[in-house]
Amino acid sequence: MIYFDNAATTRATDTTVKIVSEYLSEKFYNPSSLYHEGLEAKRDLDRARAAILGKLRGEGKVVFTGGGTESDNLALFGVKKHKNGRIIIGGAEHAAIYASAMELRQRGYDVVIAPVNGDGSVNEDGFRELLTENTTLVSIMHVNNETGAVNDIGKFASEVKFVAPNAVFHSDGVQAFGKMRLNLRSVPVDLYSMSAHKLGAPKGLGALYIRNKVSVSPIVFGGGQEGGLRSSTENTAAIAAFGAASEERYACLDETNASVGAVRAFILRSVSEISEIKVISPENGSPYILTFASSKVRGEVMQHALEREGILIGTGSACSSNKASGRIAEALGLKGKYRDGIVRLSFFKDNTADEAREFTEKFFKVYKELSVYGS
Amino acid sequence: MAVEYNCILIRFGEIFLKGDNRKYFESLLIKNINTALKGIKYTFVRSQGRYYIENYAPEDKDEIVSRLTKVFGIHSISPTVKVSTDIEEIGRVAAEIAPKSGKFRVTVKRADKRLGMTSTEFAAAIGGKLLKASGGKLKVDLFEYDFELFVDIRENGYSYLFYDKIMGAQGLPTGCSGNGMLLLSGGIDSPVAGYVMAKRGIRLYAIHFHSFPYTSELALQKVKDLAEKLTAYCGEIKLFVVPFTEIQYAIHNKCPEEFMITIMRRFMMRIAERIAVANNCGAIITGESLGQVASQTMQSIIVTNSVVKLPVYRPLIGADKYEIIDIANKIDTFDISIRPYEDCCTVFLPKNPVIKPKLADAVEYESRLDIEGLIDQAIEGTEEITIG
Repeated sequence: MIYFDNAATTRATDTTVKIVSEYLSEKFYNPSSLYHEGLEAKRDLDRARAAILGKLRGEGKVVFTGGGTESDNLALFGVKKHKNGRIIIGGAEHAAIYASAMELRQRGYDVVIAPVNGDGSVNEDGFRELLTENTTLVSIMHVNNETGAVNDIGKFASEVKFVAPNAVFHSDGVQAFGKMRLNLRSVPVDLYSMSAHKLGAPKGLGALYIRNKVSVSPIVFGGGQEGGLRSSTENTAAIAAFGAASEERYACLDETNASVGAVRAFILRSVSEISEIKVISPENGSPYILTFASSKVRGEVMQHALEREGILIGTGSACSSNKASGRIAEALGLKGKYRDGIVRLSFFKDNTADEAREFTEKFFKVYKELSVYGS
Repeated sequence: MAVEYNCILIRFGEIFLKGDNRKYFESLLIKNINTALKGIKYTFVRSQGRYYIENYAPEDKDEIVSRLTKVFGIHSISPTVKVSTDIEEIGRVAAEIAPKSGKFRVTVKRADKRLGMTSTEFAAAIGGKLLKASGGKLKVDLFEYDFELFVDIRENGYSYLFYDKIMGAQGLPTGCSGNGMLLLSGGIDSPVAGYVMAKRGIRLYAIHFHSFPYTSELALQKVKDLAEKLTAYCGEIKLFVVPFTEIQYAIHNKCPEEFMITIMRRFMMRIAERIAVANNCGAIITGESLGQVASQTMQSIIVTNSVVKLPVYRPLIGADKYEIIDIANKIDTFDISIRPYEDCCTVFLPKNPVIKPKLADAVEYESRLDIEGLIDQAIEGTEEITIG
């Protein structure tokens, strides 16, 4: 089976499976317990926290949450905002940001949405027009999960701070962390969301980086874990695995990015030969994501047809059932039948050139059959 | 000690009317009740034209009642308190389960005639005890009462006390009318049609046409979930999933676009009949409602019906959409039916489907296809799934 839907989730690695098993059966103690075993668990937890902070090259703290979505929620709802201030989000943000922003709008905030380019990156001029000095919060994703487009968050954050020095800048880094080098110390990014299961660690764990001196209030209350910012007994097994996965990813980042990039480049070249296919991902986007759209074959139909061939891919469209992709297709300015024809391939460390070749062969075969019937 | 409703009384309805067949109907009903209560510990007691469910764990009571309300053939259900036939004991229990104020009456049914008191005398005695226990807050009113206490004195030395009468699903026990093959699309209407016919005692089989890769596994899951909901009423359902894409391709390639649906439905009816006959079904069941869509006009139905010999039951033919939705809500299929998965097969939907197709046209267009070959191929690829 070829799995090209790694932006949705990844397979656990041998290391993370081993760690999770160890923490569930042997090191299962509650990190809040005061006996030795509990203290050890707490120490391991903080070690993972430090590892992640190190990879971010951040100056601040990392708070573990229940997932990328919760991290985004904690950022948007937990950060102090001026009641009359403006909130700006990117036009192709993940639903975790979009839906949270819509909720904030319901609560009376002036929420505006910055336009995006055809590749999903935030349009810089469009963004500047919306940026006012009473802006209180900005959220722009680092790597777009639908297209792989990379936003220069350092540049956006600096502009925000220049115009509205008190505004908080958040970035959803779920598709970036572990897949590109980061240096949050050098840029005024205040909050940064991450997710464990995009790196081969378990689902149900996320993290939020909070820069020094940025004030965030909890949205979950209880026993006061994570410095009071995220009550709930810590998921030590997943946290330890996340820490190890981060170390692993960054230890061989250049090699992985090169091999994944070769897979992407091969497929990109091949599908570009089909005239009615429009490549959406930018040339210089994340090597882990390749998105294109066909005007002849629906994305979902392609997905199911490839599934039969043993290839799992993602789609930007599940007909009208996927509201998110409708919103994104609209934001990307896709017209007519292209809107339903979005296909997203996303790669991870184990994907190979052989898989890319096999994919291309089967894709062409299936595409030829399906395009006869149109859509 | 608090009084527990320790016995559930089941009354059955129409099967009384069925004379010699009563034995057969009853055996089916009992079997269906036992199937519905699978997984729960209880004792089933049959006595003098009624059934009793006893010896269950108190926390299972509501679940038992809920499941019984879905068994066809049951007229009504009452959770009762079963006590020894002893006037003091009956009075004590009656006072405990009675509301604490208001107007009431007591109705006694006495099967045990050896007790030396008439029903009316019993009622008066029990009423007296209730009045006394309430300290004047209860009043007797035989005609305008707020609640009615029923006391059923049976010959087995026990009496059954209850206030509630919960309506059952009515109808006839599933299976007593034979088997029917339901065309289950995933929409709102077909599960309702299945429910309505199951209520008349039909054991359901279901058939679904799947257009992979144009329809997704989620669409298929939706159909399985709908069938699962129906099993609460009619027990296990065999679902046949027929691969339909090749037939759609063939029609798309060789027949006029506006006849796509008409000819598709003729294929569906033929395949449904073949699988129905193989499974001893005496009818095909569809959720068609006259005039609802192009394929459900009188002319369309003539054309699609003409390919089969089995009777086609269309219980919703005269129903309005809102009436169908009412039933769909009642049987809890509506929320599943509106999951938006089925529209993925719009790739084969014509822009202007023919509303008044002529049979001769359909026959002529179809003659371009290898009808039998396509049907054989579809049936060969059919997957059989047991739901429930």
